[in-house]
Amino acid sequence: MSVAPPTRRPAPAREGAGRTGSVASSAPGRTQRRPRTTILVTAILVVVAVYFLVPVYWVLVAATKSTDDLFTTNGFWFSDSPQLLTNLRLVVSYDGGLFLRWLANSFLYAGVGAVLATYLAAAAGYALGMYRFRGSGLILGVVLGGVLVPATATALPLFLLFSQVGVANTYWSVLIPSLVSPFGVFLCRIYSQAAVPVSVVEAARIDGAGELRIFHVLALRAMAPALVTVLLFQTIAIWNNYLLPLVMLADSRLYPVTLGLTTWRGQVDRLPEFYQLTIGGVLVSVVPLVVLMVLLQRFWRGGLTEGAVKA
Amino acid sequence: MTTLSRRSLLRGGVLGAAGLTGLTGCGTVGTAPTSSGTIPPAASGEVVRLQYWAWLKDLQQVCDVWNAQRPDVQVEAVWIPGGNVGGYQKLFAAIAAGSGPDLAQVEMRNVPSFLLQGGLVDVSQYGFDEVAPRYDRALVEQVSFLDAAWAVPQDSGPMATFYRPDLLEEVGAGPPATWAEWLDVARAVHEADPDRWLESFPIDDASVFIAYASQAGAVWFTPEDDRWLVRMTDDATLAVARHFDTAVSEGVVNTSLAPYEPGWFAAVGDGRIAALTSGSWGDALLQGASGASGLFRVAPMPVWSDIPGSYGSSYLGGSTLALMAGSEHPHEALEFATWMTTSPEGIDAMIEHSGIGWSPATGYIGAAREEGSEFFGGQTYGAEVFAPAAQEQNLDWTWPPIAQQVMDGLSDRFRGVVGGGTTMVDAIAAMEGDVVEIFREKGLSAEVAS
Amino acid sequence: MSAPTAARSAAPAGRRAGRGAGARGPDGAGTTRSRGRGRSSGVRRAPWVLMAPFLVVFVLSFVLPILYAVGQSFTRVQRSGLFGEEGTTSGFGGLANYRQALEGTAFVESVGRVVLFGLVQVTVMIALATVLALLLESASARWPGAFRTLYFLPYGIPGVIATILWSFLYVPGLSPLVDVAGAVGLDVDFLGPSTVLWSIANIVTWAYAGYNMLIIVAQLKSIPGELYEAARVDGAGPVRIARSLQLPLIRPALLLATVFSIIGTLQLFAEPQVLQSVSTAISNEYTPNLAAYNSAFNNNDYGVAAAQSVLIALAAFVLSGLFLALTNRKDRS
Repeated sequence: MSVAPPTRRPAPAREGAGRTGSVASSAPGRTQRRPRTTILVTAILVVVAVYFLVPVYWVLVAATKSTDDLFTTNGFWFSDSPQLLTNLRLVVSYDGGLFLRWLANSFLYAGVGAVLATYLAAAAGYALGMYRFRGSGLILGVVLGGVLVPATATALPLFLLFSQVGVANTYWSVLIPSLVSPFGVFLCRIYSQAAVPVSVVEAARIDGAGELRIFHVLALRAMAPALVTVLLFQTIAIWNNYLLPLVMLADSRLYPVTLGLTTWRGQVDRLPEFYQLTIGGVLVSVVPLVVLMVLLQRFWRGGLTEGAVKA
Repeated sequence: MTTLSRRSLLRGGVLGAAGLTGLTGCGTVGTAPTSSGTIPPAASGEVVRLQYWAWLKDLQQVCDVWNAQRPDVQVEAVWIPGGNVGGYQKLFAAIAAGSGPDLAQVEMRNVPSFLLQGGLVDVSQYGFDEVAPRYDRALVEQVSFLDAAWAVPQDSGPMATFYRPDLLEEVGAGPPATWAEWLDVARAVHEADPDRWLESFPIDDASVFIAYASQAGAVWFTPEDDRWLVRMTDDATLAVARHFDTAVSEGVVNTSLAPYEPGWFAAVGDGRIAALTSGSWGDALLQGASGASGLFRVAPMPVWSDIPGSYGSSYLGGSTLALMAGSEHPHEALEFATWMTTSPEGIDAMIEHSGIGWSPATGYIGAAREEGSEFFGGQTYGAEVFAPAAQEQNLDWTWPPIAQQVMDGLSDRFRGVVGGGTTMVDAIAAMEGDVVEIFREKGLSAEVAS
Repeated sequence: MSAPTAARSAAPAGRRAGRGAGARGPDGAGTTRSRGRGRSSGVRRAPWVLMAPFLVVFVLSFVLPILYAVGQSFTRVQRSGLFGEEGTTSGFGGLANYRQALEGTAFVESVGRVVLFGLVQVTVMIALATVLALLLESASARWPGAFRTLYFLPYGIPGVIATILWSFLYVPGLSPLVDVAGAVGLDVDFLGPSTVLWSIANIVTWAYAGYNMLIIVAQLKSIPGELYEAARVDGAGPVRIARSLQLPLIRPALLLATVFSIIGTLQLFAEPQVLQSVSTAISNEYTPNLAAYNSAFNNNDYGVAAAQSVLIALAAFVLSGLFLALTNRKDRS
């Protein structure tokens, strides 16, 4: 399932290393900076940077070309008649602005799905971490097992199930499975044990606060760093989701941008103008994400470090 | 968007659980075709809305021609990915879910598979037999099983050879009339320029090989009583396999660029591919190759002069308009389907907007097809080449309900031919046994014909 | 836990308290029992109330479908007539679906393919991530922040879109890479039978190396400064520090990243599925997940698809079990 956390990317590191948590200004070899080494190291870093940038650069160049130029001019340089705006206008206006709708859908699935998933994971993780009750071990085991089940195993039966209650091919069919983040539960469980002070909980209880109130007022705040991590992971997981919408959705107006662009990609063989649509669409969908990644980098590293430190 | 209460969610859970215990409930997707009475036409005054899933471009414009005339039956076209690259997955899923469109584009060869899944309406019940004479006989044969017709022919793909006279002249050749000549020309072209080939042979798409075998007179699948007889290693098939084994092992056909893939178009644009033997629908696609305008001509495909009982042409591809079992308006759907595929205005609209393949109707190939095309240097190849080709078909060929698996399995084995690990002859012999096994795994009975 | 057992469990909980996580919280044992009945039942109900929303969705979208799939994997369809028109029945089929999945060479080959892929790709990616992290954290690197951000960028691009992007760079005629290689006399084919697996590996590496690098950077940053000081006092140079100080300390993270990546590899789906349209070398059964998808949606063999999925899940369980065994041994030593 989509929501199965990071399949390819590992869970945020939390084992071992760095229990001390003293994030020192750690660069070793601070003693002297040898110019020759600096040049060598920086050169290596630049070469690697080129590798990471080439596809993005290519799509930027390609998005300015006509379909003919795409095949006849040098792929790494602009053609004589750039037409970026024409192409982008085509992307956003094709089929009544379908592409914008896909983008909006992606934001909807990822935004709403991730927020709710984080809340559910926080509540469940807190329950598993802070209460001792019969069956908690079993539940934790089953939830963790869910991480390992391949998406295809659940997608088809889920589709049949949803079809019977008339949910397939609706927003719900993608949203509901996106609400599950077994990995989030796991992280929240660990984090609540580490970060929610027992004494404060006890004190609140003596003051007559209900359990749900304690969770909402005290625990959620204490768990905030872990919640940010879960939120980011789940957002990316849903945003990247492909198989689930592929199976669930027949109506292209419900597609997320990933599925929409592969649909366009699938038409280039017969209709070459779809090269322009696909390439322009890729550019448009990549740019906001790249900006977001840069802006949120601090949180990413924060989350990862927190995960490592607190676990 | 449907709203969903927690209660209906729970009900879903209960239903799912019920399916679990029963294991036959919602899970058994492959149900038999049923003839549970016909659905009457809609009452007059009611506006019928039909959905039509297909991968033809601009199909809505064709539907709109109809919609303008028939306010009581409005057809909406929904684009799906082409057949096996995503469209069928969606259709099968919809059948399993008991939902989906009224009409769908289903290739000829996949009609039996949809029949096996219980996804089709018996169109004979709704009067197809009366209009059947308007279609090419070979096509009606291909959609008829169990004494009924199960889909409306939409377009077909009689085969011919698109070629570049200029490139062939360089080696002193014209379009090859026989497959033996074809091999000689292929050798000459590749020898003269190692970066040029006469043709690509799509190693990952066995449907082309099957079309050649069918041209040679092979009939791989024959229904007999309640079982399927499989005959894939007849003389005709093996002769065809040996022929292409030779071409591939000598490297005189290109096996890495499959026709109509981006790399192939680029090669055509560069003049590295001199010819393409393909279905009639290839004419529209070929025009996607940049800089190729005016360079191509069309000739009849090569024939198997030394195989007795072989035919002048074959079919590659070709689609039907299938009425899906979930449709609530089969009468109106068939009406529309018949209009689109047999009326001159329907056929012309399909050619103009969707660049569709060969008209399935006898006697009308479409106004545009009567004229010459600039891309092909003004040649009136429609009447000249394809119209006769449509009449030189192997009428005995029958597709099985496992066509896709046969083609996938064969393609997988053919991929090994490129590396030199096996030959097409061996691949087919091995596949024959597999095919019987695939039938049995579907719960059907089959055996190799003796 | 019910009251009687709760009392017993209080003791071990208390013992564990010293180690930290174990016994924190309103553990429903001694602490709450002494207080009024209502309170106690409130505490006992609370975890279930908190978990309920998650469990409902989890059961609906994970547990039920999985049970259903397991059931399907033991179900066979039997038909009479040419198309099942004379009756179709389905019933218990024993291991027939599993036999069918394993008998065909394609599925087994696909497993072998992703294992090979995993061994090579994951190794390369983790090595690349580690080297980049070490270089960025070394004093010799200029503008480490900018490089770090840059390397991390592809992680924000969905795998499907990354694949579309790279597919354009692989296709001859469109790809400037092929052109450039051709200009220097190299005839490269990114999409051929022997190369396309590594072209996929490249996409995956491109997308996830930066992410793994970031994790390792985070780990490196948490190594206390004193350790570096001590090493330097001992006269260790940067290479020596990397080898004998940094690498051992980030090893657990590396191991974890590796195993998760291998499990991810087993699930490879979107990349080959999208590349299928440009490469003749990718079959419908190229990876296990693709094979299961193909069985279900192309062949309508839901039973076989379910069996294949169960087998993939089992493989993932075995792999993660191996991982746990490995790390446990490491912890003990």
